[in-house]
Amino acid sequence: MLIKRFVATLQGVLLAGLMSGFALAAGPVQTGHIEVELVAQEAAAVPGGTIYVALRQKIQPGWHTYWRNPGDAGDATKIVWTLPEGWSAGDIVWPTPEKKRVGPLLDYAYTGQVLLPVPIAVPADARPGSTVTLKAAAAFLVCEEICIPEDAVVTLDLPVVAGMPSADPKWGAMVAQTLAKAPKPSGLKAVFAFKDGVLKLAVTGAPLKGADMAGAYFYPYSAKVLDHAAEQAIERGSEGLTLSVAPGYDFTSGTAPEQVSGVLALAGEAFEITATPGAPPASAMGLGPPPAAKGGAGSVGLATALLFAFLGGLILNLMPCVFPVLSMKAASLAGHAHDAGKTRLQGLAFLAGVVATFLALAGLLIAVRAGGAAVGWGFQLQSPVVVGALALVMLLVALNMSGVFEFGTSVQGVGAGASGKGGASGAFFTGALAVVVAAPCTAPFMAGALGFALTQPPLISLAVFLALAFGFAAPFVLLAFAPALLRRLPRPGPWMDMLKKGLAFPMYGTAAWLVWVFSQQTGAIALGQILAAAVLTAFSAWLYGYVQGRWIVGKTAPIATVLAVLSLTGAIGLIVLTLKASPPVAAAASVAATPAGPGLASEPWSPEKLAALRAEGRPVLVDFTAAWCVTCQVNEKVALSSPAVAQAFKDRNAVLLKADWTNRDATIAAALAEHGRAGVPLYLVYPARGGDPVILPQLLTEGMVIEAIEKAAS
Amino acid sequence: MSVSPSLLTRRLVVAGLPLVAVAAPGLVHAAPAPAFTARDMDGKARSLSEFRGKTVVLEWVNEGCPFVKKHYSGNMQGLQQAAVADGVVWLTIASSAPGKQGYFADGAAAKSWMTAKGAKPTTVLLDADGTVATAYKAKTTPHMFVIDKTGAVVYEGAIDDKPSSKVEDLQTARNLVAAALSDLKAGRKVATPYVAPYGCAVKYKDA
Repeated sequence: MLIKRFVATLQGVLLAGLMSGFALAAGPVQTGHIEVELVAQEAAAVPGGTIYVALRQKIQPGWHTYWRNPGDAGDATKIVWTLPEGWSAGDIVWPTPEKKRVGPLLDYAYTGQVLLPVPIAVPADARPGSTVTLKAAAAFLVCEEICIPEDAVVTLDLPVVAGMPSADPKWGAMVAQTLAKAPKPSGLKAVFAFKDGVLKLAVTGAPLKGADMAGAYFYPYSAKVLDHAAEQAIERGSEGLTLSVAPGYDFTSGTAPEQVSGVLALAGEAFEITATPGAPPASAMGLGPPPAAKGGAGSVGLATALLFAFLGGLILNLMPCVFPVLSMKAASLAGHAHDAGKTRLQGLAFLAGVVATFLALAGLLIAVRAGGAAVGWGFQLQSPVVVGALALVMLLVALNMSGVFEFGTSVQGVGAGASGKGGASGAFFTGALAVVVAAPCTAPFMAGALGFALTQPPLISLAVFLALAFGFAAPFVLLAFAPALLRRLPRPGPWMDMLKKGLAFPMYGTAAWLVWVFSQQTGAIALGQILAAAVLTAFSAWLYGYVQGRWIVGKTAPIATVLAVLSLTGAIGLIVLTLKASPPVAAAASVAATPAGPGLASEPWSPEKLAALRAEGRPVLVDFTAAWCVTCQVNEKVALSSPAVAQAFKDRNAVLLKADWTNRDATIAAALAEHGRAGVPLYLVYPARGGDPVILPQLLTEGMVIEAIEKAAS
Repeated sequence: MSVSPSLLTRRLVVAGLPLVAVAAPGLVHAAPAPAFTARDMDGKARSLSEFRGKTVVLEWVNEGCPFVKKHYSGNMQGLQQAAVADGVVWLTIASSAPGKQGYFADGAAAKSWMTAKGAKPTTVLLDADGTVATAYKAKTTPHMFVIDKTGAVVYEGAIDDKPSSKVEDLQTARNLVAAALSDLKAGRKVATPYVAPYGCAVKYKDA
């Protein structure tokens, strides 16, 4: 009895502790074909504020639930709330549905996972420190071929806090994304006219200028205004479009309505519109139907993505972290220009190494994303341990180039390094190493392609990565297969040793930069650890070089060997230790708070902060960045930190928000995905007068930033 | 099972709709009911034309559909009984294709379900190839039509104004078929001639 009471008390204490910390869903409820639960955008509610709480439905494959107007058949999800005194729930914010054809009928439905957010108004007198329970009785019809009505009562315990709540760590980003993508009132002008048995719906306005209108579709809120199953013919105009649709009961037999409202969905965006009777304006027609997508819009995007990925791969060869490695390898090939067979074998081995490594990375990335984690390209650099290990690898490569030691057990001089089978496996690992070290140097062309790749099914993603791999390997393979080109390279000689030792310095630089990234991710203590690890690594490499020297003269050096192994082990141990010692989140916050340069201070980005600044009517530049992203660092130094830029920001009352993705962050990943990106950098300029942000190029100049800010302010 | 709508009349009426709408609002909803012939559960061919001069109710059914089950908790049987007692012809139509939910393999299957439910329509029509459903553009189960003595559709759509599959909603719902029938009986114009139907999709054979 006593024990029982003790356990109960303990549970109570634990529970209270948990609740005061963050929103606590009672866990998903299985209703048969759907897993359903309440999830919140923020971890806590603020008195007098509004918090979005979403009903999350994870629907079994093959089954679907319904939109607010279910279409020809079906039934929309309904939620009945039981809320504490003073709290009130608004209407469901319905995401744009899918068209689901059932024989001759058409339904508007959701498949897979859908979030139905509801704004919950928090009373001003809600007591900070308390925890409230939101209860929702949800009823939904879930259909496959047949339909089953299912019910669930789900609850969410929500702490009340004063001040700014943080995003819910698990679902916050997804709720925010759902809200961002949901159809919104858009200021579009819409009219409808019924004539000769056809209902014409014309929509015009700035957001439609130049928009991609292929597949445009009008989802009506009322089930009586149009024939859901009939095709909607699209005609484009200079400032909008006209849809010709088959009328519904209201027009054929009933009384024509005074207004027709619903959602106009285009590829990737959706607008809430309310049409009134009127003739379609000339600007909504005259340009004919949208061009027929050749082989589907997806394949056009795919071709472009493949091309950019290939180009991106090519450019990667020139990056400071890759160039020294590859140029030395290429120079060594020159020594074998007379032996076409050997150089070709090396070329192929290198290609195999590059492709295998890229595909392995891509496979890992896809698998991790499939597991639900919001990661993007460069994700491997969001782990301090990986960054630390990479820094040491770079150091080893640099030391090798400096001649401190040689790779492999047989000591080979420069230019003689590519003989026999050792050459082939060496080329394979050079390829693998090159990919590993290339990741931080994502070339500008690659960003779009990778963003595209990661939103596609796995096979297409892999195709894009494959194109990237081919682009990356192309110059080396080309050299290996073109003896004529090889012969043009200068003959190997003593100058190569000089060049090699010179090229070691970019590698030292890369190692130093990675150490800096590492320190940003972890902190001062860990910085000390990695520097010690670097010294141990260098010591070990030097000893190893000494041992190699003894081998040449046919002797061994057991003490030096043991010491070398010990110090390398120590170096690895130090890196692993930092895993425990470092609080990465706090470090990231301090990075975000540091000014980008003299004069121009940045503030940490959050969707709420952005919304607040926009509400004030201030132009905002959002800098999506990471310490491990070279392009980002260059842009920040070159274009964002000059006094002229700072002055422009000051003059226009503009704000620079920094979204730091150095460490993993689901909210930032979601924001990137919203703009079709899987990685940084991304620069968004939000105009003061509202509307969609302008995306700046990935390589910024001072003039570009100033011009963008001036435009945004006007 | 053949459909032979009097196309000429239909076309004329449809073409004249806008005019009629201005001239005589009362006639707006009087779309002629498409004619049809279908086998009933006794194997007999039944045509709409044989019921000319009587009020006819068409009810689309799928015994497995939760919305149908809701109304067969007593509500539908009561309506059928009252209507038939008033001299109304009540045709329950099963349009589920073979292999789909609600398909009746033969009249006996339909009969045994009816008996089990205590349903009392005039008869059940077997429309597994969807001919009648297509002629009426039936969308859901249930989907209701009320045809007056002149052969015009005076009500189409939902059975009541509470689209749900919950039995308890029957208590607060306004039954629109009952309303249409009592309007007809009293010689009034049907006040609510259309409400979007709700329920499961009619299980048409795959296109």
